[in-house]
Amino acid sequence: MPPVTALDYPAPDASALAALIGRVAASRDRTAYATLFKHFAPRVKAYLRRAGMGGAEAEELAQEVMLSLWRKAESFDPARAGAATWVFAIARNARIDHARRRREVSFPDNAPEEEGHAPSAESLTLSAEREARLRGALGALTPEQQQIVQLSFFSETPHAAIASALNLPLGTVKSRIRLGLSKLRALLEDAP
Amino acid sequence: MIRHHPTPETLLAHAAGTLPAGHGLVVAAHLQGCARCRAELAALEAAGGALLEDLPPETLAAEAFAQVLARLDEPPPAPPPPPRQADLSLPHGLRLPAALRRAEIGRWLWIGTGVRYSRVRLPWAPEQNVMLLRVAGGRRVIHHSHGGAEFTQVLWGGFRDETGHYGPGDIGEADETLAHQPVADPEGCICLAALEGGLRLPWLTRLLGG
Ligand SMILES: [Zn+2]
Repeated sequence: MPPVTALDYPAPDASALAALIGRVAASRDRTAYATLFKHFAPRVKAYLRRAGMGGAEAEELAQEVMLSLWRKAESFDPARAGAATWVFAIARNARIDHARRRREVSFPDNAPEEEGHAPSAESLTLSAEREARLRGALGALTPEQQQIVQLSFFSETPHAAIASALNLPLGTVKSRIRLGLSKLRALLEDAP
Repeated sequence: MIRHHPTPETLLAHAAGTLPAGHGLVVAAHLQGCARCRAELAALEAAGGALLEDLPPETLAAEAFAQVLARLDEPPPAPPPPPRQADLSLPHGLRLPAALRRAEIGRWLWIGTGVRYSRVRLPWAPEQNVMLLRVAGGRRVIHHSHGGAEFTQVLWGGFRDETGHYGPGDIGEADETLAHQPVADPEGCICLAALEGGLRLPWLTRLLGG
């Protein structure tokens, strides 16, 4: 197996990724899994590095996340979340779990238990398009607002990180976050 | 009808996974009963997905895929044993939020006239200060300020303070800048609360005689 990089193949789009997860869930399809690995593992590792992990630690945990992706494929509901959103949630929970395991306590599966809703055709379209619309909206934020949203998601201590990156007093960070979120919401509502 | 929701920045922190575990649990209890916040959270998690998708990928070791492939058939880790949960003899029709299903729940302890307290211990985050509170109707509390962020989800009954009335499904977020003087509704109030910092009792318990 050559080194996994994300640059030597055309990136599958959101619906292709969702279909691949579906194939893993339906038939434990290892070819589909290989493509998912190639796409997501380097991104998950990058996410964990941003959260402050060293290279070896991030590498190891990225492998754990990819293993969870294999095990949890049946829980992927394309009506509820896009593929990247689902992987993000798994990686986020693994990150929380990992921080706690450093203190030698185990953490239960944090997947929220929700009542089942039959997905409507509308909700299917919405979740398939949502990630793409969000990427557009995030790109339309000011650089400062982009930085606020990124630090909110990628830093272990977002408020302190935002204050220091933007040279703001800690007390004003909350209102800046709120401003960025309402801008994001407005952009999403304006999107076609 | 739910009138009090988590603040936008709290939902963002929940989506990002940066809330303290106890506060995250209280927000999860709110989400279970609030379709509006579930939709909001889904949008924020989608933002997390979009950001993940756009991160510059970091190359993994050459053998990474082979190592994971070799582990695919391993049995998944066994789930933790069910936690010990005391029978709280809750009012008819009240079920504890699903977010508490892995938490240890202590029996009611009497801590003052009309106030009982049950310690909620999270085995995965035992340092967190989380509790259930049962307050009898009409109890007043002393005017006071907070030492840190305090999240309170109403499970049954309600209370009123300077910021409004809180009924079933409502969440209150109080920080150190808020001075409270809440009063429980006539039928009383059962809440799930998480406090920042060490073991302290929250405002609902600092009661004067009714
Ligand atoms: Zn809500």
